[in-house]
Amino acid sequence: MMVEGGKISPGIVEVQTTDHRGFTPEEVAERCLNKLISVSDTAPPAIKEQALAYKDHLSAVLVFYMKEAVNSDRTTIYNVLCDAGQKDLAELIRRL
Amino acid sequence: MAFSGNFMCTSFKQELLQAKHDFTNGSGDTFKLALYDNSASFNAATTAYTTSNEVSGTGYSAGGGTLTNVTPTTSGTTALTDFSDLTFGSSTITARGCLIYNTTAGAASNTTNTVVVLDFGSNKSSSAGDFTIVFPTPDASNAIIRIA
Repeated sequence: MMVEGGKISPGIVEVQTTDHRGFTPEEVAERCLNKLISVSDTAPPAIKEQALAYKDHLSAVLVFYMKEAVNSDRTTIYNVLCDAGQKDLAELIRRL
Repeated sequence: MAFSGNFMCTSFKQELLQAKHDFTNGSGDTFKLALYDNSASFNAATTAYTTSNEVSGTGYSAGGGTLTNVTPTTSGTTALTDFSDLTFGSSTITARGCLIYNTTAGAASNTTNTVVVLDFGSNKSSSAGDFTIVFPTPDASNAIIRIA
């Protein structure tokens, strides 16, 4: 009798880097979406199209709220710097 | 000597059968990811983390970064697990590959039991930026650790 299975395999990681900046909300949102939604190349065309459209919609929502989070965090940092007497530095952060 | 591909460590396979690795989120073991330059020579026979040829640079400390486990699940007849992406922020690093190892294997502490060797395919560099290891889609075909 044949027994199937038993193969243990490693996946392939991707490395993303930046040069003198951090990742943008768009870049982070793309990574997030790839974790949330996987669309098979072999999916029926109608289902694939619907899944990709949903992914695009989610992308826009994710990017919007990530920007909101970034801006809100800057407000927090602005106030921390102001409270520490670093008004000039706080202003730099506010203008980002 | 150089990286020559991805390997699931043989010692890890044996230790799985000895119940020495727990990937459960929160209550499981603590896994770390260490970065190496292309002078490192790892393969399936690699059994432990080493500082030899480990990268150094701003934003990186010896031993690497701690991973966040994702509780194992199944897809069809395949069991799989995943980790959250790991970022070395505000870093200046060049690395060719990495080791994932378990620092609490078998309920012990300060262990260095390797799990997997991962080859980035080429040198990857950050310069006063972010260096992020992006784990693959956690499905039966792509997840970082799969038992089919």
